[in-house]
Amino acid sequence: MAASPQGNPWPTLVPAVLLVALVFLVPIGNMLRLSLSTETGIGLGNYIAFFGKAHQTDALLRSLQLAGLATLISGLLAWPLAYFVAFCVPVRLRLLCLLVLIAPFWTSFTIRAFSWQLVLSDNGVIAWTMAQLTGGQVALGVLYTMSASVLGLALFGAMLTTLTLFGAMSAIDRKLVEAAASLGAQPWSLARDIIIPLALPGWAVGVTLTFIFSGGDYAVPTLLGGGLKPVLAQLMLSTVKGTYDLPTAATMAVLLVLVVLLAGAPILVYTLLRQRAG
Amino acid sequence: MIGLAVSRPARWALGVVFGLAVLTVYLPILVMIVFSFNSGRYQTLPFRDFTTDWYLRVAADSGFTEGLLISLSLAGSASILATTFGFLAAYGFHKARLPAKPLLLGLVLAPLAVPLILVGIGMRLQVTALGISPALWLVLLGQTVYVLPLAVLNLRVRIARIPPSLEEAALTLGASRLRAIAGVVAPACGSTLLATLLLTFTFAFDEFVIAYFLTNFQITLPIKIWTTLVTGFDPTVNAVGTFVFLFSVTLGVLAQLVLLARQSGAKP
Repeated sequence: MAASPQGNPWPTLVPAVLLVALVFLVPIGNMLRLSLSTETGIGLGNYIAFFGKAHQTDALLRSLQLAGLATLISGLLAWPLAYFVAFCVPVRLRLLCLLVLIAPFWTSFTIRAFSWQLVLSDNGVIAWTMAQLTGGQVALGVLYTMSASVLGLALFGAMLTTLTLFGAMSAIDRKLVEAAASLGAQPWSLARDIIIPLALPGWAVGVTLTFIFSGGDYAVPTLLGGGLKPVLAQLMLSTVKGTYDLPTAATMAVLLVLVVLLAGAPILVYTLLRQRAG
Repeated sequence: MIGLAVSRPARWALGVVFGLAVLTVYLPILVMIVFSFNSGRYQTLPFRDFTTDWYLRVAADSGFTEGLLISLSLAGSASILATTFGFLAAYGFHKARLPAKPLLLGLVLAPLAVPLILVGIGMRLQVTALGISPALWLVLLGQTVYVLPLAVLNLRVRIARIPPSLEEAALTLGASRLRAIAGVVAPACGSTLLATLLLTFTFAFDEFVIAYFLTNFQITLPIKIWTTLVTGFDPTVNAVGTFVFLFSVTLGVLAQLVLLARQSGAKP
């Protein structure tokens, strides 16, 4: 039956919405239910039990610390990187520069985390070079620490945030910048009064995504942070694959989402408000 | 225009930061590529002799080759599914009149806004409750949901730029809605559809966590790499890593180039 030109094409939404509802929404709902079900019925027992165990609360705090540090560093680093590509490079080289910087972003995250092992380990490239220079043994002691995890995730976040920030910067009307400059605005005030405020929503998207990603990542904390001081994602995986204690795993998953979303909420709300206003 | 917004010394400083960042990003990857040709069993300097042994070992290891085949077919299917569903949804979000549209858009994009491990663990708990054993088709569903937001975001921008008169002409001439979408809207999105296929393929190909939760015996390439990584020092990983890196970077950069060429071409 041919649809009339006035027909409402809402059925095109059905496949995508149905898929996400079945594969994402329903499992998350069930997970929430599972985390609230205890032997005596519905209750917060699993959550109370979670906070009763120090190694679990430590893991939660470590997740937050890791995500916070990685987001902070990458959020700061993204400004000079995006600024350089957007405003210091001739137009025809701009995309090339951006691609050179973010190309590894499209490749396996696991492989990139692993490659840092080769550089950071105690007989890795840095330690070897330092030993050659000083003529003695050098114990670097960086691999399998929180610092190594922060490094791995901050680099990833810097690429991601540079990408979103560059998008926002290149959307700024160049005539606005030119007009301000021809009226005598100095570079610093151009940045402070025009470019940074207008690019801020793009930055906010990048740091929010970085925080969410870093808070839930499993690969970097395992390969670079080691297993001795696990983050919550590591604990969750070993709970599912090891002890099969599914209610506890569900509780951890719900907590992880809550905490990550709550911590990311201010930026998220800000972004939404800005987008509505713009 | 160049340098208008930045003073000369500041430009130099920014350039130095940029250069250092590029060096930091590529240093470990270069080291991995160098080690993949190093005959030494231990992953440490100095470089011993040049060898392609590790690559031959990878090619001879059925765990890697079967994993590669599984990953290629999974990522291929996921990218086709996600691009098709994403295209239809992007069209619907642009054209449909539906009060719940913002809510539904939020739902479709939601997998992007939560840690990925949640999709995996949620599905794992769900299929356990339903009594379904882990299998590749579950991985396919999970990975499709994971890359679907990318497809929708990419295509939404493109569809919004198509002049509505094109499609209206087809509809007025009596084409069905589906016919108009397939015959007019889809061809007008051609290069963006291609870029979306490439991009979703790349992300699905490298996806690890969802697959890790949802397979037992048929393992994908990232899982094979992961188990090799965590079970000990095996230099074949350098060779596989080099291959995967070059493969996905090529696809990802290709996708970006198609997208960016399209965008800069669309600007006046």
